[in-house]
Amino acid sequence: MSIQKNLYFLSISILWIGGCTATGQIVKSNREEYHINSSLPVDSNIIKTYLPYKTALDAEMSKVIGYTEVDLTKNSDVPETVLGNFFADAVAHQAKKIVPNIDVVFPTTKGGIRNDIAKGSVTVSNIFELMPFENQLVLLELNGSDMYTVISYIAATNGQPVNGLKMKVVNKSPENVRINGQPFDKNRTYRILTSDYIANGGDEAKGFSKPISRKNIGLLVRDALMKEVMEIQANGNKINSKLDGRITVN
Amino acid sequence: MEELQSIDRRRFIRATGIAGAAIALNLSALDAFANGRMQKLTILHTNDVHSRIEPFPMDGTKNQGLGGTARRAALISTIRSKEENVLLLDAGDIFQGTPYFNKYGGELELKLMSLMKYDAATMGNHDFDNGVEGFKKQLHHANFPILCANYDFTNTALANSTKTYQIFKKGGLKIGVFGLGIQLKGLVDPNNYGETQYLDPIQKANEVAAILRNEEHCDLVICLSHLGYSYKNNTVSDQVLAKSTRNIDLIIGGHTHTFMDVPEDVRNLDGAITTINQVGYAGINLGRIDYYFEPNKGKRIKVGSPYEINNRLEA
Repeated sequence: MSIQKNLYFLSISILWIGGCTATGQIVKSNREEYHINSSLPVDSNIIKTYLPYKTALDAEMSKVIGYTEVDLTKNSDVPETVLGNFFADAVAHQAKKIVPNIDVVFPTTKGGIRNDIAKGSVTVSNIFELMPFENQLVLLELNGSDMYTVISYIAATNGQPVNGLKMKVVNKSPENVRINGQPFDKNRTYRILTSDYIANGGDEAKGFSKPISRKNIGLLVRDALMKEVMEIQANGNKINSKLDGRITVN
Repeated sequence: MEELQSIDRRRFIRATGIAGAAIALNLSALDAFANGRMQKLTILHTNDVHSRIEPFPMDGTKNQGLGGTARRAALISTIRSKEENVLLLDAGDIFQGTPYFNKYGGELELKLMSLMKYDAATMGNHDFDNGVEGFKKQLHHANFPILCANYDFTNTALANSTKTYQIFKKGGLKIGVFGLGIQLKGLVDPNNYGETQYLDPIQKANEVAAILRNEEHCDLVICLSHLGYSYKNNTVSDQVLAKSTRNIDLIIGGHTHTFMDVPEDVRNLDGAITTINQVGYAGINLGRIDYYFEPNKGKRIKVGSPYEINNRLEA
């Protein structure tokens, strides 16, 4: 339980002039960090307290709603991940059943992806932990210039989970931008689906503050993910997302 | 760390008269310990527990099997049984991250922290996830104060529900604790923080720490910070805070989910030590910092912070 760390001494003397009526003075400080793992005993009173909550929750959350053939792992250091692609494609697929005409889907930032899903069965709980927030999907129509600001934000942050958008990032700037296969055109408007969190400027997202129009489509981000996992399962398939180079760096 | 030591060596040489005093103090510290006059204070801390009631599930992911409130509570009880003066603190983001929060809104998190006898916590950005009203609604489950020095909740549901600071008295020592929160704009949905006003954390920290040190005469000043450990740009962080303030002995940090190998000791505006520590997230770790105090002898000029730091506990 006690972890040996690098031991170092620090003896410091500093002038501290002035009256002080505190009763004590620090002469020494020792530090330790405990790892909370299975080697520790448990406090049964704590378990007794959370058990009724857990029982009710488990009944709801432990339900298996699908399977994934690949590990879905978050990684904010790379422009594209299998998990990010799954997330963006799932939201795009479900949202387009409500509003077919969407150009780009940017449903979460990399930081908004909160947990991994390991290869195997996918439970309701997995989806809650992946996307715990109660964020709504919103559809915004942007002019070309604002759309380019969004694209530039995605490039400046070295890529984000997207669907419908393909580009190269060179020195944190977008190049060879294609939207649904077509070169980006600054003279037209675009319809982008994102979360209310991002549309309100969350994670310092740029370009959403002056939309031509904005509306909630009536679907939570998490519910879109949940529906997609269940639909894949109902069709007798498994999640098998892949990298496809939609965003590359350099 | 090397820089810290070398600068101190220079000061040490310049102030030879004081150097003698420092050595004498160290000797008298040993003497005080032998005579049982030395007071010991144990600080235990967590941050960004994010509704992790149970350990991470055994599903092959990186943190499987780690954390869990039942184990943390048992560990804390063991420490309390050995130590007389314990303070248990949390640096925010208590809420959000498991379905326990989605289903129960934070009730269970605060109940369990109360059972573990947390002494205080500050608010993280995710503690706003059900709005200011959502936090207020659960607050009666907490039997410890929520400390926020740089959020003005005047026109919100949390008006008069949080405190700027709290003073704890342990074994004759006075410990002042205050909280600092992160800039909400751009991070939290405006609908969720509403009329909450974010105030400059450095300015507030200096103001409150000065009150705690000079007016309340606290022996130790602790800041619970949800600003984040460090950033590549010049965003205010715990490192910036430590360098830009005086009178803070310890910053218990959060937000960036930083697993620090050892606490970091920074020289503050007075040249004294401000220690920063953060223990990852999800209750995977529990941090502990012990301070040993020697009674003051009422000298007008005293040598501040000539203290010895050790990254392991006393045998």
